[in-house]
Amino acid sequence: MSHPSTGAPAAAETASAPESFFRRALRQKRFVFGLTGTVLVVLFAIVAPFLSPYGEKETAGPPYAKDGLFGTDYIGQDVLSRVMHGGQEVLVISVLATLVGMVVGILIGVVAAYAGGWWDEIIMRLNDVLLAFPQILLSLVVLTALRNPSDWVIILLVAAGHAPRVARVARGVALGIVSRDFVVAAEALGEKRSRVIVAEVLPNMTGPLLAEAGLRLTYSIGIVAALGFLGFAADPGAANWGQMMNENRLGLQTQPWAVLAPVLVIAIFTIATNLMADGLAQASQKGD
Amino acid sequence: MNQNSPSSWKMSRRQVLRYSGISAVAIGGSSFLAACGGDDGGGGGGGGGGQQSSGGQLIHGATGGGAKDTLDPHQPVTAADIARCLNLYEPLLIWDNNYALQPALAESVEASKDAITWTVKMRAGATFHNGAPVTAEDAWLSIRRVADPKAPLSAGGQLSQIIDFESSKVVDDTTLQIVLNTPYAILDSLLAEYTLGIIPGGKFDPSAPVGTAAFAYKSFEAGKTSTFTKYADYWGDAAFLDELVIQDFADDNAKVNALQAQQIQTLDNLPYNLVDTIKGAGGGVLTAEGGQWVPFTMRVDQAPFNDVKVRQAMRLLVDRQAMIDQTLSGYGSLGNDMYAPLDVAYASDLPQREQDIDQAKSLLASAGVDGLQVELFTGDDIGSVAVPAANLFAEQAKAAGVDIKVTKKTPFYDDDYLSYTFAQDFWNTRNYIPQAVVGTFPPAQGGTYNETHWDNADHRDLVNAAAKEVDETKRATLLHDAQEIEYNEGGLIIWGFRQQVDGYAANVQGLEPSKYLPLGNYKFSKVSL
Repeated sequence: MSHPSTGAPAAAETASAPESFFRRALRQKRFVFGLTGTVLVVLFAIVAPFLSPYGEKETAGPPYAKDGLFGTDYIGQDVLSRVMHGGQEVLVISVLATLVGMVVGILIGVVAAYAGGWWDEIIMRLNDVLLAFPQILLSLVVLTALRNPSDWVIILLVAAGHAPRVARVARGVALGIVSRDFVVAAEALGEKRSRVIVAEVLPNMTGPLLAEAGLRLTYSIGIVAALGFLGFAADPGAANWGQMMNENRLGLQTQPWAVLAPVLVIAIFTIATNLMADGLAQASQKGD
Repeated sequence: MNQNSPSSWKMSRRQVLRYSGISAVAIGGSSFLAACGGDDGGGGGGGGGGQQSSGGQLIHGATGGGAKDTLDPHQPVTAADIARCLNLYEPLLIWDNNYALQPALAESVEASKDAITWTVKMRAGATFHNGAPVTAEDAWLSIRRVADPKAPLSAGGQLSQIIDFESSKVVDDTTLQIVLNTPYAILDSLLAEYTLGIIPGGKFDPSAPVGTAAFAYKSFEAGKTSTFTKYADYWGDAAFLDELVIQDFADDNAKVNALQAQQIQTLDNLPYNLVDTIKGAGGGVLTAEGGQWVPFTMRVDQAPFNDVKVRQAMRLLVDRQAMIDQTLSGYGSLGNDMYAPLDVAYASDLPQREQDIDQAKSLLASAGVDGLQVELFTGDDIGSVAVPAANLFAEQAKAAGVDIKVTKKTPFYDDDYLSYTFAQDFWNTRNYIPQAVVGTFPPAQGGTYNETHWDNADHRDLVNAAAKEVDETKRATLLHDAQEIEYNEGGLIIWGFRQQVDGYAANVQGLEPSKYLPLGNYKFSKVSL
């Protein structure tokens, strides 16, 4: 991690900090494997809909038939095509939920660490209250009460589950930074608090927070898929990977691919993002 | 199309009831025949052949139950409730596996020539599970409970309006005279509803329910399980089983798994795409032609469906055969936007409606709603067919530029039910008149489930006239005209009628397919292990 001694040089040095951190991460095999897997799944989700043999909701044959690579699903839609179409929604929701959760969580954690004293106590105790809720429970309670939840509601709910967890990590990392000389020096020079946080504190938290982001992305995918499986997808007919598992679970013996195909893609993606997060965490520790 | 062939109605319904004693013996007498498959109610057939043996416990799995489960014979709601009621109680008459009326606790039900006075002769020798004989007084008080004009129960909507309670009387222990305030030629069909079981003094005791059927109450835990024991003094053929257990399951998945794990022996409403799974696991599948339907419902009093052209266009958007092939795995028959396919008066001569995208577009354009966007409400609690059917319809409608947004609501059957502009529903088999009353009449006139808010005086007059008409030919003509109005202007999209498909374990014998209700009308008294 970079240790700038004053405000102005710090800004110059921090600009190159993420790059060097990324280079360190690339030396981690698990990061490389994870990144490769993640990029492949993301590319699959983006490109596959244009190459799929059938449309997302198009009928391809009788229900649970052996037609095509993976056969047909419970109402005769092509499983391969559904898997190819089903990634975009899950990935977009997961990535956006992770981003929102990270931003809000970092903000809470850094403000608490930087403010210190009673503010720190109050913010973090309230945060602990939120942490007591199992992450998926909050989403289930709200989605059950809503008549027609949109994708944005799901994004915000998943993000709301992430934020307190990210806040705790962010506060822990920030505590070790806010008392360092370069932060104190910036304050002594009369920098605004917001400027100190953005220019001095945050750039020096990159490594641990990237690792946390990778982990949160893994959880996001799991939660979004689980919500789809439990029937809370925004569009009940969409080729959502989680929803596909739910739709076809009764026919597991007759047509296992209708369940296994989305399961495999989700498994590959979550393992890949987890490896990536692990690699980032190791790179971060070595950097210290 | 599923309907009774004219040849099966060589005797009038009145004659059938008159010769009821003979038919009861003929139907109930041969358990061996029952074991060998069954009647022509449909395909499949329960269990293998051979002599049936007595004894044992059968566990039946049902979904849809919960904390509101009931043993009240007059207020069953879910499939689990219905299964319990049909094994604990009996009405005066009952629909058999071919959806024909048969005597149950009444030996005969006769109408006067003007169809105003009906005489019910009670079955001799029938007793309640507490040993008391079943009397005409019990029947009358049970009917009064159901048809209480202030708060009619499930089967009482129509009865409460047509019975003259002052003039009706119990003549003696075996004779009940029901006087109506208007001619009503099909009162017997109303008395055959499974929600009109006869109970002692017309009083339901939830702590110790007493009925007359082949099984007696032993225990009941709402949402979980209920147990019934063989009633040895049953007036008909006593049950083979010593004990019947009806087990609630949260969903079809758990129920199917339980059958495969041999934890239950029968289940109703097997998801169609699992037929091969059950067969592959060594179980049996009972299929029966039926008249159950899962319609799309368009409110005729709200835009855009208050324009008949839009309703007609929506009906032309459906690829009905594709709906049957994809959502019912082929286990169904074509619908023509009319219900009651088992009624002899079903208007099968009206042209079969087919998908016609060009015509639909033209109708939508003339109605001024090009690029129509509508929200379709569906839900898992409508049944396993509903959500897939909604998704498929939305896909089919795209061909005409109609954008249907499918919204899955949980639960579907809440306070919003009957107020959705565009939704789905499910119905079991009924003949035309009772179905038209309950589904298309204003609530004040008996239309307790009028999802489309249909309010057509001409149609209503035809149905009412048919109900009063004792001449079956004239009644059929009136009903044809009524159906034609609905066919042309109605708010229901009836794309098909689903077959009844149930599952059972390999050691189950005696199940018969029925057009009326699952598992041979849930008649477990005929089943052995």
